[in-house]
Amino acid sequence: MNGVPILSLVTFVPLLGAVLIAFIPRGHVRLIRYGALAASLAAFALSLAALADFDPGASGFQFVEQWDWIPAFGIRYKLGIDGISLALVVLTTLLTWISILASFGPIRERVKEYMISFLVLEVGMIGVFVALDLFLFYVFWEIVLVPMYLIIGIWGGANRIYATIKFVLYTLVGSLLMLVAILATAFAWQAGHGGDWTGAFDYEQLRGYAFDGTLQTLAFGAFFLAFAIKVPMFPFHTWLPDAHVEAPTAGSVILAGVLLKLGGYGFIRYSLPLFPDAAHAWAPAIIVLSVIAIVYGAIVALVQPDFKKLVAYSSVSHMGFVTLGIFVFQPQALEGAIVQMVGHGLITGALFLCVGVLYERTHDRELAKMGGLAEPVPLYAATLGFFALASLGLPGLAGFVGEFLVLLGTWAVNPPVAAISAGVVILSATYLLWMFQRVAFGELSDFLRGLGQHLTDMSPVELLTLSPLVALTVVFGLFPALILELLHGPVATILARTGGGLDLLGLVR
Amino acid sequence: METLVTLLLALPIAGFGATALVGRRLGRQAFWLPVGAIVTAWAVGMVVAFSALTGQPPFTGEHGQGFGFSLYRWIPAGDFTVDLGLYVDNLTAALLIVVCTVGMLVHVYSIGYMEHDPGYWRFFAYLNLFMFSMLLLVLADNFLVLFVAWELVGLCSYLLIGFWYKRRSAALAAKKAFIVNRVGDLGFSLGIFAVWTTVGTLNFQDAFRGLDQKIAAGALEPWMVTGIALLIFTGAVGKSAQFPLHVWLPDAMEGPTPVSALIHAATMVNAGVYMVARANPIFAQAPEAMVVVAGVGIFTAILAASIAFTQNDIKRVLAYSTLSQLGYMFAGLGVGAFTAAIFHLVTHGFFKGLLFLGSGSVIHAVHEEQDMRKMGGLARRIPWTYATMLVGSLAMAGIPPLAGFFSKDEILGSAFRNGFLVVWAVGFVVAGMSAFYMFRMMGLTFWGESRVDPHVAAKIHESPWSMRVPLVLLAAATVVIGALLGWPLEGGTIHAWLDPLFEPARELLGLEHEAFGGLDVALVLASVAMATLGLAGAVRLFGAGAGRFRWPARLADRDALVASVPGARFLYRASVNKWWFDDLYHLLFVVIGGRAGAALRWFDERIVDGSVNGIATVTVAAGRGLRVIQTGRVQNYAMGIALGLVALTLAYLAGLFR
Repeated sequence: MNGVPILSLVTFVPLLGAVLIAFIPRGHVRLIRYGALAASLAAFALSLAALADFDPGASGFQFVEQWDWIPAFGIRYKLGIDGISLALVVLTTLLTWISILASFGPIRERVKEYMISFLVLEVGMIGVFVALDLFLFYVFWEIVLVPMYLIIGIWGGANRIYATIKFVLYTLVGSLLMLVAILATAFAWQAGHGGDWTGAFDYEQLRGYAFDGTLQTLAFGAFFLAFAIKVPMFPFHTWLPDAHVEAPTAGSVILAGVLLKLGGYGFIRYSLPLFPDAAHAWAPAIIVLSVIAIVYGAIVALVQPDFKKLVAYSSVSHMGFVTLGIFVFQPQALEGAIVQMVGHGLITGALFLCVGVLYERTHDRELAKMGGLAEPVPLYAATLGFFALASLGLPGLAGFVGEFLVLLGTWAVNPPVAAISAGVVILSATYLLWMFQRVAFGELSDFLRGLGQHLTDMSPVELLTLSPLVALTVVFGLFPALILELLHGPVATILARTGGGLDLLGLVR
Repeated sequence: METLVTLLLALPIAGFGATALVGRRLGRQAFWLPVGAIVTAWAVGMVVAFSALTGQPPFTGEHGQGFGFSLYRWIPAGDFTVDLGLYVDNLTAALLIVVCTVGMLVHVYSIGYMEHDPGYWRFFAYLNLFMFSMLLLVLADNFLVLFVAWELVGLCSYLLIGFWYKRRSAALAAKKAFIVNRVGDLGFSLGIFAVWTTVGTLNFQDAFRGLDQKIAAGALEPWMVTGIALLIFTGAVGKSAQFPLHVWLPDAMEGPTPVSALIHAATMVNAGVYMVARANPIFAQAPEAMVVVAGVGIFTAILAASIAFTQNDIKRVLAYSTLSQLGYMFAGLGVGAFTAAIFHLVTHGFFKGLLFLGSGSVIHAVHEEQDMRKMGGLARRIPWTYATMLVGSLAMAGIPPLAGFFSKDEILGSAFRNGFLVVWAVGFVVAGMSAFYMFRMMGLTFWGESRVDPHVAAKIHESPWSMRVPLVLLAAATVVIGALLGWPLEGGTIHAWLDPLFEPARELLGLEHEAFGGLDVALVLASVAMATLGLAGAVRLFGAGAGRFRWPARLADRDALVASVPGARFLYRASVNKWWFDDLYHLLFVVIGGRAGAALRWFDERIVDGSVNGIATVTVAAGRGLRVIQTGRVQNYAMGIALGLVALTLAYLAGLFR
């Protein structure tokens, strides 16, 4: 595959699809839907081709493409991937076609605009993962915002305007500060190289450069805000439940499955290697926030009456493991954090699909009204139960390995923090099994009985969206090496640059 | 041997997969695949177990060294690697005998027992999944695979307790079991982290060796070893339902009775005992932890026995007796009688499996009634069930030469000889209590006058052959297995099998190998006397011989009797209310925990999100306010610039920018 710009293809095939769809008359809804599906499947196939051609043993970035873009400032169009970005790119392309397929039924208004938004969204998401130039990275980062704004704001629920403005403003606050920080690092580089802008935005150059302490602290802070809001970390998380509740099902899937990972990815790719000293200085505070998010998200999930909010708060808790795993600077924990991102993307994405399946039939998400679904819709109940178990970290499924590795690595540097975080397995079992019992067990509730014939088991399309996620949740649970083998190299590189061995309490032996 | 061991795991999981896929369409015939898989697995399991026990190749290592291999590398994460590795030694073999045999008989029994249930195929699918998980649990060669299996058996337990999911009580009991187990699992997982950070491996044999070396080199503080041992033990406390995590097991009786027999009596609840025995090299290095194990065990034994006194649900009596007997096993482990504890695990697996299956047969006969107050006089109506349950009860009471006698008396004898006199004394009392409540159960169920609902009474029937055969086979095993493995006491076959395995631990603990002597004879006679006393008391109170012992046959008289003794009233109420543990936990975790959750939710919506919205409000208001100075007149702006310059200059002069 030498010479084929595979990464550009993966990134921009959805855009090509979006442009083509723009020319289809809006009445041809089927054609628009299948066109969008085809474009997203093409991106998925291309990402799999990249995966097949990827050499996990090689060091550094692969499939690198670069052209000058704004040479006056050394800004380049530069793409490349390592194992970390590859795993997230494939997750993105997978979840995007699943989301588009899952939108076939629920989205009946403005299908054309919706599909175009979704494909543009995919461009931004993939771009964030493959960009190796900070300016380009920033552009993709902001591209993501626009289609998501539209998806929630146009196809969302009753309170969608509030939710989408909150989402955009909140995210924008972080990302604008990040832009300032990107410019500041570029200026610092340029100043350090006698006014030469070459490489001032080049990630591979910058990560070898020792920025001075003050700049590191300030720039790390700006990056931190952007990423922490995206993850989201406590106390920057309140946009998430609102956005999830108002977003259409597919929007929630992408939000939980990919958008939150942009934050985690940003920490790993940029915060750690670019500003290692600041990362160490900030780590204790971030670890505390992560532990708070883990415990707090689980407790708040415990008392949510709304199905979707429950899953949203469980995301806060699960993503806390990601930031915890990143900021203990320990190889097992960092690999675990990335595995956790993939696992959470599959499992929580699937849980949101499950919420959507129920919502399609009931137009309601209040758990108190549900009950007894195991008998009339056994397939649905079994699928929901499966993902509830996966989400609570049942060993053998994808949710376990990431959490376990994060906790193992955390224990190695700080047992009390690991013990508190591990305690959440009790809470997550409680809220997920409560939810499942509430929905599936007992006698069929009056509300659901009132639906009569509308209460049908999963349709073939719904089955098609959920079955790959079931399969992958099992496969990655049994063979986590499939992901882990991609991670050893890049994780070692990042930790070598960042320096390991965070020791909060002097407990490392 | 690799092939056989792999096959042992492959059969039940294949049975699960096949039944899950096509079982629904097979209807009443759905049992063939899963039962066939388990019967075959039983044969394979016996071959594996007896190859190990008789030292056939490849089981030729010294000191009970087993045979292990790896299926594949499960988690490779830098210097942390875990294989899906399997390991068979004599300890595994002893467990395999129980798991495979009881498992196979329960499968056969379920063909008849679950016949009229609409979820027939689902039941067998879950049972097969359980067998796979349980076999993986005993075959695991490292802590993490053990932990995986540990969670999987917990999952199956959840699915099977909640099998009749429409019943709210069943759904709640299933959830309770899972969550309470997770509390124990938390400790277990922390123990796993600690093992890895201490010795850098999770493989049992490597970890034990590494730990010994580190201790020998003085690289480990004793409290660390004790800590690891106690963390691991926490997992055992959850899974084996020991105090204070015992509350889930009685509720677990909501599951179908074959499940209670297999999972909640004969196999899964033993996992904690097995794990502590497996980790004996760690515990032997931590004598304080051993004392905790013995203490928790014997306390659970008497606590559960005291509750079993007053329960009216036949399955709950058996559940509390299971807790109590598991307590004995932990007491045995704690006093260093590893072999005796595993021996008791084996015999208990058989006789308690028998008792549960028998209770299922009773419940079947009286049309799904579990309340013993609505039974009575069933002995002549269902003679097969009665006879086999009588064998089980005698075994459980510790009457020689039945199974329970040998193993229990070895535990008590070791407690006495190893200096744990309190453990011995409490265990001695519990022996009498056990005999009493078991024969209270027999009396209420089988003897005296019938209190069965007249509509049902006419239709009482003995169970079909598929249920009777397992009962008879288990009864036969209960009769012979004690003497077969345990005679002579302290020198039987079971000791030949397991003692070499535990030899290093014994040496470390400084325990002598003593021949069975005069003191032991006295101890055995005392405990048999105690058991007989309890048995006789129960027989007298709960009326054997249809009316010969009329006094005090009526429940009201017993209440009067209780009321007349000072203090007994309190004890009686405590027993009926299970010492209020469920109420305490409800208050702590549901009521107070729920309030805390609601408070946090308020905090999240009002304070955290409130400040976000507050900033927005302030910004909008500020925008409105600042619009006033946006006049559009250059003069005004110039004035602003001038004022700003002055301010900056002053600030510079004041040294703010230095």
